[in-house]
Amino acid sequence: MSEPERPAAPNASDAAGRPKIGVDEWVASAEERHERSRGLGGLVSRGWEGSPAEAKLIVFVALASTLPFWMNEGELFSYGLYTLLYALLALGLNIVVGFAGLLDLGYVAFYGFGAYGYALFSSNHYGLHWQAEASIPLIVLGTAAVGLILGLASRRLLGDYLAIVTLFFAQAFVAFVNNSNPKVAGEGLTGGPNGIPGVDPLNFFGFKLHSTKQYYFFLLIVFSLAAVGLYFLNNSRTGRAWRALREDPLAAEAMSIPVNRLKILAFMFGAGTAGLTGTIFAAIQTGVVAGNFDVALLITIYAIVILGGLGSIAGVLFGAIVINVSTQFLAPSNDHPELKRWLFYGAILLIAAKIRPWSRTAAVFVGTAAFGFVVHAIASGISSDWTNGTVVDAGSAASAIRNWVIVPSGHTGFQTWAYIVLVAAIVVTSQLKGWWRMAALIPTLYWVAVVWENVLVQQSAVTALILFGVLLIALMQARPQGLLGTARVEIV
Amino acid sequence: MHLPLLNIIDTVRQLGWGGAFELLRNGIVLGSVYALIALGYTMVYGILKLLNFAHGDIYMVGAFLGYGVLSILGGPLAPTIAMVPLILLMFLGGMLGSGVLGVVVERFAYRPLRNAPRIAPLISALGVSFFLANSALLLTHGERFNYAMYQLGGDPNTGLPGPLNQPAFSVAGRPVTVVQVLVVSTSIALMIALTLLVSRTRLGKAMRATSYDREAASMMGIDTDRVIASTFFIGSVLAGAAGVMFGLYIGETYYLMGFLAGLKAFTAAVVGGIGSIPGAMVGGLLIGVTEAYAAGYVGGQWSDVAVFGILILFMLLRPSGLFGAKTIQKV
Amino acid sequence: MTALLELEGVSKSFGGLRVIDGLDLAVNEREIVSVIGPNGAGKTTLFNLITGLYHPDAGQIRLEGRNLVGLAPHRITKLGIARTFQTLRLFLNMTVKENVMAAQYGRTKAGPFRSIVRTPGMRREEREIHQRAEEKLAFFGKRLMGYRWDQPAYSLSYANRRRLEIARAMAAEPRILLLDEPAAGMNPVETHEITELIAKLRDDGGYTILVIEHDMHVVEGISDRVTALDHGVKIAEGSFEQVATDPKVIEAYLGIGAAEEEADADAAPA
Repeated sequence: MSEPERPAAPNASDAAGRPKIGVDEWVASAEERHERSRGLGGLVSRGWEGSPAEAKLIVFVALASTLPFWMNEGELFSYGLYTLLYALLALGLNIVVGFAGLLDLGYVAFYGFGAYGYALFSSNHYGLHWQAEASIPLIVLGTAAVGLILGLASRRLLGDYLAIVTLFFAQAFVAFVNNSNPKVAGEGLTGGPNGIPGVDPLNFFGFKLHSTKQYYFFLLIVFSLAAVGLYFLNNSRTGRAWRALREDPLAAEAMSIPVNRLKILAFMFGAGTAGLTGTIFAAIQTGVVAGNFDVALLITIYAIVILGGLGSIAGVLFGAIVINVSTQFLAPSNDHPELKRWLFYGAILLIAAKIRPWSRTAAVFVGTAAFGFVVHAIASGISSDWTNGTVVDAGSAASAIRNWVIVPSGHTGFQTWAYIVLVAAIVVTSQLKGWWRMAALIPTLYWVAVVWENVLVQQSAVTALILFGVLLIALMQARPQGLLGTARVEIV
Repeated sequence: MHLPLLNIIDTVRQLGWGGAFELLRNGIVLGSVYALIALGYTMVYGILKLLNFAHGDIYMVGAFLGYGVLSILGGPLAPTIAMVPLILLMFLGGMLGSGVLGVVVERFAYRPLRNAPRIAPLISALGVSFFLANSALLLTHGERFNYAMYQLGGDPNTGLPGPLNQPAFSVAGRPVTVVQVLVVSTSIALMIALTLLVSRTRLGKAMRATSYDREAASMMGIDTDRVIASTFFIGSVLAGAAGVMFGLYIGETYYLMGFLAGLKAFTAAVVGGIGSIPGAMVGGLLIGVTEAYAAGYVGGQWSDVAVFGILILFMLLRPSGLFGAKTIQKV
Repeated sequence: MTALLELEGVSKSFGGLRVIDGLDLAVNEREIVSVIGPNGAGKTTLFNLITGLYHPDAGQIRLEGRNLVGLAPHRITKLGIARTFQTLRLFLNMTVKENVMAAQYGRTKAGPFRSIVRTPGMRREEREIHQRAEEKLAFFGKRLMGYRWDQPAYSLSYANRRRLEIARAMAAEPRILLLDEPAAGMNPVETHEITELIAKLRDDGGYTILVIEHDMHVVEGISDRVTALDHGVKIAEGSFEQVATDPKVIEAYLGIGAAEEEADADAAPA
């Protein structure tokens, strides 16, 4: 290298916007800066970072244990049990993606292996009714072995190729269990599209879990143990090696870390965790079908891990709560359909409230309200069929919505165009700057409400999936470290 | 004892040469579609080293746009304009719409992440793919829309097939229909156009420069952002054409069609050597033909597994693909 | 006495380009050998070959008589060769101390299951890892101590990153340290410090050191022997004075004919 390099070369030019990384004085004052973040947010974040991991776990377990006492059976099932199930599943993905930095898109296939495995060993399908203490360890080891094989097959692969091989693997798994139902021991192995019904409840040494409450506490224990185990693993030689290979595989290899072996190990740990979660899932559902292990689940789990923050165990739990609660709110089976509207508008308001200063936030909200009434008046002036459609699941807010949002009846194609216009409006608004953006925001916000009332509310389950997709895109730009992860710096 | 291998041999014998040709024909037609999609993957990968998961869904949107144009112009039974301009307009609608969508996706989901960690644009791409597929689900309610190309231009009273479905010529007594000829020849024409574009034009030169070294290219006065946007546009245009072609050939569009087709097309790009344009074409044909033979001789449910097997095989034995160059790792 | 590290007839080409051509090199125990040469002479490739990142097309590389060719890089590191990178490849988002601790991987044993249940043996080992990491960091005086342990590596200044690279290589507990331009990008004071440090590494740390360096003051200050490369071929070897005055070396650096001109210039005043 002949060109002269200045000591502070990597950061000399970007003093303005970016952190002054690498400058000794700046580093030394890190603690002070931390103290400076005042207010409630600062207090919470300092309290969070200051408290030891044990305390966090105890607080979580204590809070989680109260759930069965104030939720009814159905709520506990969808909000409590499923959050823990997702959290456990995401914990395994966090090993592969968060710790080791491998983009494993075949992760749900391992979950499927676990579920189908349990369904084969403990159901009427083959008349085997193995006890869980025998079948679960066997299945977890078996799933880890499948992970080993897939890992070996892709051991030479870098990030992107690994992603495509694993994604294809997941697809092949679903296609296999769904379409081909090879006869094994006189019985179709996977049950084809019907899946395997009649799976036994978990039965440990003759003690059968039968109520939602029991499953909930069982999952709480399993999750806590897994979280503690992974916390220890992350703070060990293996965890450090994983982080090192995520940072720079070549340097890790040169520092005596067997990169390939550790990648495969991460794969196996992820697969084993997914397999374990799968067995519990099969028992809770008392049956398995291939459709349970599709891409939608994959994205949901990714959304959990990424929202919480890659590599953060507490983040996984947090992400699982947010994602599962929103999924359940938006599920068609929700007993309180008006809740999904509050969740949706609440989320929109929360995002819009990010506008600063406050006066501007208020201006946008008032403007949006006024804009709505004007549009509504014009629309109903043109023809009453632009505003006399049925408002779905409105509950107490029905009349307010009917007088503000245009809900046409009998205009076919309106839904499609409304949605496309919304997407276009959001794209355009995001590209504008300054006052133009504020001005564009008002009709866009109103149009969000129009599309929600006309399109999204009727298919709120699909809406949830669309929002997860948007969440992934938005998070990558706004906060790639998620909510609880640590911001990462890459110097290229 | 049940020996699957014997079954396969039996099937091969039963189908005979005519059957073998029929499968080859189907494979080549399908393979041309894959090749067009694969080109988009390979171009974007070549220039950004990004696996654009959303590409398959852009192809899906293209197929829906073609359907949209068809239904606006009267639908397959009573088209308001003549056949040839109708098909041209369908292609135009599908290609332009997909192209614009591709540019928007790039601008919105990938450009802000140009200097982010490697995993960030991949996850963003996953999000875009999921967003597009589920938006289509939302708007179509999961229905399958039928181009009804069998009827396209046909006689509704007699139920005679339209001109697209008439045999153009036949080999070994097996017909090759007009639409099959149309699909293969259109995709060959598009590939030739692309090859000329990349090798002969200023834009092509800028694209090659950018794919070698983005930073150096931008220092040489190339507006790399524009070049990348153009790459997305061209790749998405090809995917849109592939979508309309698939609609015309198979006749059905579905919100999930992009996912599997995208996977297979990416496999085609990998098999051909990622970043290589002729590689994507050859890979596409290879995948299409493999799939057709696997489906014909072994069983439809095995075609995906066979393609997956090819992917694994290439990954293990020749990760750089048929036409890819071995790269030297810089330390 | 056989040399600790021996290269015999090592060759490597990329495409048609011969980057290393039939190179012989020997490094004895507790010796400091510098490799010099103009850009593109193949110095970094030499390091990549020794550490197993590249495989030689021909020739042998031996550590204490044991052939290293074909071994994976992490195996070679474990056998006793650790390196730094000219381009600085730290684990940027890990803390300073973790960077060093990570390099202890090959010297420790606790597997994942023992780590999950935290067996007493694993905890003892973990304490040792901490202790050794602190020792290595203490080698650099106050530079990498105190609050810096828990700072992410990206927050370090350039010179400190170079130091951390060396500390990390030391933590792999090698017999031979390969230092790739340890003084690049440093100011004169820091360069002087690095020169002293390399000597201290040998004297107090007991390492054998093979170093690539451009700064001739550093080379002069530390080297027991100097090897000059040009186009992958060894053109001179010996003490610093011998190599620095070798006409072939001057030619390699300054171009054909430069050696005679310099000789003329030297002769003229006399």
